[in-house]
Amino acid sequence: MTIPRLQQLLAVSALWALLHPAYAQTETPATPATTDAALPAPATVKPTRPLPAERNWRFGIGLGYGMRTNPLVLSDDIPIIVDLDIAWFGKRWFFDNFDLGFQLTDNPLFTANAVARVNSDRVFFGKTNIRYVNFTIAAGGDRVPIAGAPPPPGRPDNGPSLADDPQPLEVPDRDYAIEMGLEMLFGGEWGQASLRGFHDVSQTHEGFEISADYSYRWTLGRFSMSPTLGLAYKSDDLSNYYWGVNPQEAGLTLQPYEAKGGVDWEVGLRTSYYLTKSVRLAISADYERLHDSVASSPIVAEDHVIGYFAGAAWQF
Amino acid sequence: MRTWLTLLAVTWFAARTAAGAEPPPVRLVVKPLLCVVDKPADSCNVLFDIRWKSVLPGEYCLNDETVAAPLRCWPRALSGELQHPREVSEDFIFWLAPPAGTERAAEVKVEVLRVGSDDRRRERRSRHVWDVL
Repeated sequence: MTIPRLQQLLAVSALWALLHPAYAQTETPATPATTDAALPAPATVKPTRPLPAERNWRFGIGLGYGMRTNPLVLSDDIPIIVDLDIAWFGKRWFFDNFDLGFQLTDNPLFTANAVARVNSDRVFFGKTNIRYVNFTIAAGGDRVPIAGAPPPPGRPDNGPSLADDPQPLEVPDRDYAIEMGLEMLFGGEWGQASLRGFHDVSQTHEGFEISADYSYRWTLGRFSMSPTLGLAYKSDDLSNYYWGVNPQEAGLTLQPYEAKGGVDWEVGLRTSYYLTKSVRLAISADYERLHDSVASSPIVAEDHVIGYFAGAAWQF
Repeated sequence: MRTWLTLLAVTWFAARTAAGAEPPPVRLVVKPLLCVVDKPADSCNVLFDIRWKSVLPGEYCLNDETVAAPLRCWPRALSGELQHPREVSEDFIFWLAPPAGTERAAEVKVEVLRVGSDDRRRERRSRHVWDVL
């Protein structure tokens, strides 16, 4: 999905313009005072009531414009228009945006959870296309692709046939994997960190992932900024299932490829400006680098994933 | 018929007079209206800029929901202002009312937003970049 940068800026500007007047009205400058009697002097007041308990449910929605690039060949980027945040936290059990967890321990040093989740690599495979490639016999007998061949009659993108035997070039299908594992969450004045280890329990890729990330949030008045660093080791099995090409999938258009495990890394930045208790403007950006063996796969066109979003978020 | 019309006119005039005797509209403006609290802090120290303006002169007192006595009273004024330091840890209301009255002429709610949590599970980082909330 390609939208010119100007349109993206206009969309964000319009959203800001829509929201800003509502904010401004709540803080309209007042007229100067004409009378101010010297009656009781103002005093600093410290309420003594206990803090309100946090609700079990968290429900939010973000509306705006963003994109996540798709590193696969013949794929579309993933537009981000709406983002839902649904979570529930019980005493031990919790549901956090399709992660289902059980708190094993919680102490001043860390919190440990057992978590079941859906692997996130699969999301890229839902936005792929097919291209048809014609081949010619080169000197020496090799078949060499002719770029830009149209699809054969009766196939998608129907058009006139310029060659006899166009071959489909298609990213292979991949399934979602259910993974289970442990996570340790740390937090303090120094920031938040997590360690996670997950293994496939759905016999989909039969691999594992170990990851660590760190983030620190600065809050100044209504503005909040949170940079993040993360590393993730993805095993041979996991990497090869999603990013490799097995012999059954290989053909004239796609060579077999075995992806090895490796370490992905990412950096991100999230910023928020709180308009009210429940509404904020949010801008986030993220860069994820795929490890070399994945980046070299014939079904991978880019060695990185870039994500960004700008919009308004409501927390109910 | 003439008597009825006269009575109707008198009633309408009396009703209008009674309506005119109601407290005049008062506008109360407070800045800031939002306190964002992040760990390790559990409250904000805020210097509130409080201003009010009335269409007609009146005697008003500024009240804080968490304090029994008025913060300040203004004798028969069209407007007033106050710089009020306060530590804020939960939502509360400022309101203006006549000294002896219970009816509020104007009120403004100050809100507290906590962006951190003692429950580390609520600080779990989302794994997808489009989770911006």
